[in-house]
Amino acid sequence: MAVSALRPGPVARLAARRLVFAVLSLLVVATVVFWAIELLPGDAAQRILGRDATAQALAALRERLHLADPAPMRYLHWLGGVLHGDFGTSLAANRPVLPYVGARLADTLLLAGAALAIHIPLSIGLGLVAASARRDGLVDTLLSVAVLLGMSVPEFVIGIALVAWLSTAWGWFPPLALIDQARSFGQVVLLLALPVLTLNLVMTAYVVRQTRASMIEILQSDFVRAASLRGLSRSRVLLRHALPSAVGPAVNAIALNAGWLVGGIVVVEAVFNYPGLGRLLVEAIGNHDVPLVQGAAMALAAVYVVVNLAADVATTLLNPKLRTALP
Amino acid sequence: MADTRDLPASRRDVLVGALALGGAAVLGTAGPVRAAAATTLRVATGEADGVKGTLDPAYGNNDNDAVRAGLVYERLVVPDESFAPQPQLALSWKPDADGRVWTFALRQGVKFQDGSPFTARDVIYTFRRLVDPKTASAAAAVLSQIDPDGIRALDDHTVEFRLHAPVVEFPLQIANRFTAIVREGQTSEQLRTAGIGTGPFKVETYVPGEEPAIFVRNEHYWQPGRPRVDRVELRAIPEPSSRIAALLAGQVDIVTELPALGLQRLEASPDVKIQSARSSFWHGLAAFTDVPPFDDVRVRKALKLVVDREQYLKAIVGTRGTVAYDTPVPPWQTYGLPETPFKRDVAAAKALLAEAGHADGLDLDLHTSAADVGLVQIATLFKAQAAAAGIRVNIIQAPAADYWTNIWLKKPFVATGWNGRAADEALALEFLSTAEWNETHWRNKAFDDLVFEARKTLDETARTELYHKAQRLIQEDGGALVLIYADLVGATRANVRGYRVHPQKVTFDFSDVSIGA
Repeated sequence: MAVSALRPGPVARLAARRLVFAVLSLLVVATVVFWAIELLPGDAAQRILGRDATAQALAALRERLHLADPAPMRYLHWLGGVLHGDFGTSLAANRPVLPYVGARLADTLLLAGAALAIHIPLSIGLGLVAASARRDGLVDTLLSVAVLLGMSVPEFVIGIALVAWLSTAWGWFPPLALIDQARSFGQVVLLLALPVLTLNLVMTAYVVRQTRASMIEILQSDFVRAASLRGLSRSRVLLRHALPSAVGPAVNAIALNAGWLVGGIVVVEAVFNYPGLGRLLVEAIGNHDVPLVQGAAMALAAVYVVVNLAADVATTLLNPKLRTALP
Repeated sequence: MADTRDLPASRRDVLVGALALGGAAVLGTAGPVRAAAATTLRVATGEADGVKGTLDPAYGNNDNDAVRAGLVYERLVVPDESFAPQPQLALSWKPDADGRVWTFALRQGVKFQDGSPFTARDVIYTFRRLVDPKTASAAAAVLSQIDPDGIRALDDHTVEFRLHAPVVEFPLQIANRFTAIVREGQTSEQLRTAGIGTGPFKVETYVPGEEPAIFVRNEHYWQPGRPRVDRVELRAIPEPSSRIAALLAGQVDIVTELPALGLQRLEASPDVKIQSARSSFWHGLAAFTDVPPFDDVRVRKALKLVVDREQYLKAIVGTRGTVAYDTPVPPWQTYGLPETPFKRDVAAAKALLAEAGHADGLDLDLHTSAADVGLVQIATLFKAQAAAAGIRVNIIQAPAADYWTNIWLKKPFVATGWNGRAADEALALEFLSTAEWNETHWRNKAFDDLVFEARKTLDETARTELYHKAQRLIQEDGGALVLIYADLVGATRANVRGYRVHPQKVTFDFSDVSIGA
């Protein structure tokens, strides 16, 4: 059965169908973003010049940026460019958007990847421990309280506290994630340690609780009981029989977290001075830099689509019931 | 030397990394992230300019731009710490009899970073470009006295400026953030990311919005033995607590800007030296003098009497600053007023308000924002203090990105602040009737005449008296509440020598900075 599930057919069809929708939704995202920024007060020339915005300087910059063109025309111009693979030029930087988004996306994926590498085994593992411990016993309660505490404290408080404690006071880790200063893989690990720890403290609770809840439910089902009665070891029952069926909701929670890691961790990026996509997006919005906002938003949307697709494929492959139900 | 140091350092670092992977977390932070070459200077500013950043002096407008310009370019004249003009690329200067034609003798033997010689042509190119309407630089407003056709080379190393009107303080007027000398012929496009100047460092990598920007030693630099480091890495760390943590952990060597409060940790650390400079960087409020109720001088006077300036000082900068009395020129700077004009007097303020027809108080809308340090505190303190005289203040907070473009200069009553400047520049930019940034809509013919008269008065005592009279007019009649002067604060690692914070916030000189063992 496992062999037939890995046949490319059904999964590939699922992926292909999703990808078509993905391209459409990216275009929708970019369009909505364009008009949303248009509605904001002020324009890029004012934002770029700030306090130096003399009438003369404003007029010259507006002309250079073609801000006087009607919005629909600028939109069509941008759309035409995208069809040729040209994502436009940042108004504030006067350079192509694509390299900026590419570089920041790479950094963001590095941090997100590092955070997920800890997050996935840690949160599912803790969920398993909580589920297999005595219900509402010491371990179970302690775990619940600990992860909920992490979730309810704002991430900048956790981040600043970790810097003060693990870096400034004890000197274990460098306080800022200045990854350009890394000269080796080990240094990358050290530099990313604090943001990864912060992110994990924030993300863990939901997945742990999902895993715990669905494990408890599955452990009471007939096939798990049957497996135990057949004399299989407890760990084998937990890991090979119960976990694959129970992990579905947790995978979806992890996918949500992954999406957050890519676009929603602006505050964590600011505390650790990390050059992520989230900060680029916020900065671009502040500058009224429409092409850069569109580029960054499309990159974010693309990651969301891919992550959700991956989560669906993973749940499908892991769960025997879904696996066989595929068309 | 640097090369041979590279290898052991990186080998050790690899080892450190391997240990970390093995789970050994107990490691000094300074070790693993120390730069490979010992002569790299890592500088962090506080203000992020991101993708807006530029290396073109004509458009620079924040700290990052200023640091980059300070690394790569030099000016004819630089202000010293009391804002007296000092030679940099100019050796000396002299005016004609009435201060209208200025002749500058240029330093000889100076080369640009590409090896080409620095001559009068570069000076002419730089200044014509700045005042050219096509360049559209904010410098045009500051340098309005310069006649572009009146700049000419008397020989290769002598430049003459013929001005529209006499300006006795002309050398200081061209010692501002825009006037860095660029090599003749460079376009705005080139200057933005790859400008060539005569400064101690040249650009290696600078992409606006990507960090760090990297600068390397200028082999042609004219000051012998300088610069004293091989490389400079520049980045912005906007979050103040992150900036402090980075300095304490040795991730950066210099931070150019720190908040005035909450520095106990740095003060206590033997690894760090705090640097500060007394500056005329002022915080306060500005009211349109042509809009009711501020069009009545008695109301303006009442506002000035009701504020408790010591409280602002304590709340915003603690001990790192000085109380101000409604003039942008502090007493210690050239042309500063010697006297302290008045004390807080709530009864007098109330009486003035009653006289102006506001016997049962006054309702004011005050606009502020988190756009700059202190703006929000200024507004909240004012609300509390003004209540004593029956003034009811309604604070309206604007988004930071909008404040300087859509609120300031547009709303009648705002929190404001200005970087430290030489006396004439500060008075002219903020208070002349024709000023581009006249934030109080104050148009006072007598004041204008005093400033113009002072500009052409060669006798120092007489000129000082004129500038004093002009400032007293602002105090008496103007719409600005200049409440405090804030010191500029920065810090370095203890082993960094030769770095000083300059009261003109945009002046950075890294040529003499070195890193000790």
